[in-house]
Amino acid sequence: MIFKLFESLDRHFGVERASAHCDIPCGIYDPSGAQIAALTVVRMVDLMAELEAKGGPKDPAYLNSMARYVAVKEEHAEKAKAEVRVIWGDFLKPTNVEKFTETHELVHKIMLLGSKSRQTADRETAVQFVEAINQFAQVFWDAKKIKTKVAKAPYAPALEMVYPDL
Amino acid sequence: MLRLMRVTGSSLSPEYQEGDFVVIATIPFFLNRIQVGDVVVFRHPEVGLMIKRVSGILETEKQYLVSGTQPYSVDSARFGPVSSDALIGKVIWHIVKPAR
Repeated sequence: MIFKLFESLDRHFGVERASAHCDIPCGIYDPSGAQIAALTVVRMVDLMAELEAKGGPKDPAYLNSMARYVAVKEEHAEKAKAEVRVIWGDFLKPTNVEKFTETHELVHKIMLLGSKSRQTADRETAVQFVEAINQFAQVFWDAKKIKTKVAKAPYAPALEMVYPDL
Repeated sequence: MLRLMRVTGSSLSPEYQEGDFVVIATIPFFLNRIQVGDVVVFRHPEVGLMIKRVSGILETEKQYLVSGTQPYSVDSARFGPVSSDALIGKVIWHIVKPAR
């Protein structure tokens, strides 16, 4: 209630920002946080499907597990979006975007896929979310002039991920 | 005086998250003394308004050591103590962003 009131004030009049940020002065950016968060979304969708496939009663234990999977899916989809926004907004420069002219569209696509991943339990959407963030990671590491490699994540879901080749 | 501000960044997480609101009490601090553990807003010459927790007070020089909770926080370990002149106020009310 109070939060919504303040949020409305912020929307209409703009509230000052106080930064607890670290990345403006320290320059630490890495898309791996977004990639892992997106992978977590796929993992939660898989766990939800496995739980449903087991059958059995929709008892408190079932509801408890399902609610936890959904909550983690929500949290990590939003986290992935936030991590991408920070890199896009604070790190990438116009010169980087000139080279990868599709960057803005890619970020927008990630935002949409992240939201859709929260709204649904559709695995294909969640996988597309991972793939789009992998593309974003590619843009990021290229901007840093660091080579990349593609390898399967060493944990479930073992999707292919873009990693810096250090 | 009270001022409403919104938190950006995550160096004070998990207690303070991006999007949270804070109400700060501005000077005069003699009515509301700054103590170790208080969360304060101050002006940094490059970053602008910053929010951190007071981790130490250098009484004789009227300077404050500030820190975050995250290891990558940029704070007094990097930019030194914050002078009392740079202090804007201390948090007296933290409005947490509800989980969606």
